[in-house]
Amino acid sequence: MSDGSAAPAIELVDVMKRYGEAVALDGLSLQIQAGEFFCLLGPSGCGKTTTLNLIGGFVPLTSGELRIEGRRVNDLPPHKRNVNTVFQNYALFPHMTVAENVAFGLRMEGLPASDIGRRVDEYLELVDLAGFHDRYPGQLSGGQAQRVALARALAKRPAVLLLDEPLGALDLKLRKQMQVELSRIHRQVGTTFVFVTHDQEEALSMATRIAVMAGGRIRQIGSPREIYQRPVDRFVADFIGESNFLGGELRNDGPGPIFRLREGTELPVVPGFGSTRTTGPATLMVRPESVAVGPIAPTGPAPMAVIAGRAANVAFMGNHTRITVKTDAGVLVSIRFHESGKGAAEEEMVDREVHVWWDPRESTIVAAGDEPDVGEETGGG
Amino acid sequence: MASGVDALETMPVSHDARAVRWALRLWFGALMIFLYLPIAFMVVFSFDEGATPGLPITGFTLHWYDVLLDNRSLLRAVGNSITVATAVAILATVIGTMAAFVLVRGGIRWPNATRIAFTLPIMVPGVLIGVSLLIYFARAADLPLSLGTVIAGQLVFTVPFVVLIVASRLQSFDRQVEWAAADLGASPRQAIRHIVLPLISPAILAGALISVTLSIDEFVITWFTIGAQPTLPTYIYTRIKFGVTPEVNAVATIMLVATLLIFTIASVVLGRARRRPDRRPAEADA
Ligand SMILES: Nc1ncnc2c1ncn2[C@@H]1O[C@H](COP(=O)(O)OP(=O)(O)OP(=O)(O)O)[C@@H](O)[C@H]1O
Ligand SMILES: [Mg+2]
Repeated sequence: MSDGSAAPAIELVDVMKRYGEAVALDGLSLQIQAGEFFCLLGPSGCGKTTTLNLIGGFVPLTSGELRIEGRRVNDLPPHKRNVNTVFQNYALFPHMTVAENVAFGLRMEGLPASDIGRRVDEYLELVDLAGFHDRYPGQLSGGQAQRVALARALAKRPAVLLLDEPLGALDLKLRKQMQVELSRIHRQVGTTFVFVTHDQEEALSMATRIAVMAGGRIRQIGSPREIYQRPVDRFVADFIGESNFLGGELRNDGPGPIFRLREGTELPVVPGFGSTRTTGPATLMVRPESVAVGPIAPTGPAPMAVIAGRAANVAFMGNHTRITVKTDAGVLVSIRFHESGKGAAEEEMVDREVHVWWDPRESTIVAAGDEPDVGEETGGG
Repeated sequence: MASGVDALETMPVSHDARAVRWALRLWFGALMIFLYLPIAFMVVFSFDEGATPGLPITGFTLHWYDVLLDNRSLLRAVGNSITVATAVAILATVIGTMAAFVLVRGGIRWPNATRIAFTLPIMVPGVLIGVSLLIYFARAADLPLSLGTVIAGQLVFTVPFVVLIVASRLQSFDRQVEWAAADLGASPRQAIRHIVLPLISPAILAGALISVTLSIDEFVITWFTIGAQPTLPTYIYTRIKFGVTPEVNAVATIMLVATLLIFTIASVVLGRARRRPDRRPAEADA
């Protein structure tokens, strides 16, 4: 996060949005720095579109404050805001050609015709649609329409570009292609992007920072790595990727912090990872790819977290193998990616007594409580 | 793939089915004859040589169309009708379009009740509207009857048609396209002018054309509100009292063709506007 003297591109302070009785945004606070590729990620109905619409100026705030480049814009109408939007269904003007669509915003600005022509060419080039000037939106494929919408918004050279699930309507292959394309365009133009998606993979691959939302609130803001490796609560961990959760108690009466499972096994943990609390009931989270499985745990200088169990299932998945291990503390899943030149020894482990282990630095403490609920209102530890 | 008729033919049905189908076809034919035979006679008689139209047809002539062009008072009536229709179409379109905006976007309190109130004049009998207008003009407003009162009277039932057509198009209008316009820097006025009006123009045009066809042959309300200058339908009516002449047939035939033409254009325009694909808010032709 850049922490310069310049005002953030977008700043929301304690923003509430109600539709009648329904609360869509419940005290949202958030800062987006200039030049970021910021992702709003969350399940359907969590308020992502509402947040974008507030920033775009299409719906009014109920309370709180919204600043764009340091200026309070709560009551500024959309056509006076220095932000532009790529709508989920593109919202191209059907009665105008591609060139006229891109030129529309520039015409509204009152730019001279020669400048408009040059800029239209420049931005159609940028989105790889040179030569599509005279097509009508109805004559474009989904991916092309999407890129016209992008060129139309970018041609205004806004301070911030808002994108509401712009890839949602595209098929998987085109989606991947457009993700790469969007990252390139972001680097090329340097504009702040605020990108809405409910696809965690999309967010992880493109964003510089991610805000995970649920129920009109932000659960966690951080870089893709932070969000993935150190989720603050079980909701975030579950929403982004696959996780193993273990219930137990955090103790701090020995030389270092210890996570004690219900059946008594003690696992070393690293202080300061996840919850700031040092004692009491807690949940430990570890990603399947961090979990190793074998007949005997390795002994080394660094203490490992080790649990004994029985390999219940070994499934070959192509580029990786999934091993399910039953332990007294619960079921743990391990994912082993195949390395070249190494035979598959995993299959032989089925129904054998095994150990699972991981480096304590790979695990993190998430929400408090022996039985953490995945529900909407769980606060962080 | 078998067509519907083929499917019927191959399906095992009762042996009466064939007869029933033929009976229905006959009935349908009779209905069509009942509906269109008088009109067909009128058209045929307009080309008949005989001075008193009737069977048998004596020969083909364009004489009555020629006579028609020499009839000054008839031509004046046609002129009046065109004046009234043009004024009604323009006024009804402007007033109706504005009303449609209020109805769909005005945030008014009882939208459904208001919509019914707006469109009720279509259902009210013309005689009722005519009588009430006559009383209103003569007793309350103290207005002399003229083409102006005819225009006002016809607006009472043409405006609701425009409201209905334009409001239904506005209802289905994709608000996000308008948001996009605002997002790109268009003021509300510019968004209406550059985006909304062009996109709903087929509905507005259809409303105007339907107003023309309704106005051209409107009789009942016009009869109550007309002054000294007749429109074409009221002229024909007064002439027919002195006996049907073949030139009236000729005028009626011209009216029929003109009305059908305008109605066809309106249907095509509206149909094209309605057929835009829903998948994307986009259309291939400009
Ligand atoms: N115009 C509206 N009137 C009433 N409630 C609304 C309106 N728009 C949104 N909501 C409600 O506000 C909440 C947030 O909606 P929003 O559209 O922001 O969700 P989202 O995160 O974009 O979801 P999705 O991923 O499905 O697009 C939802 O519960 C929704 O029902
Ligand atoms: Mg949404």
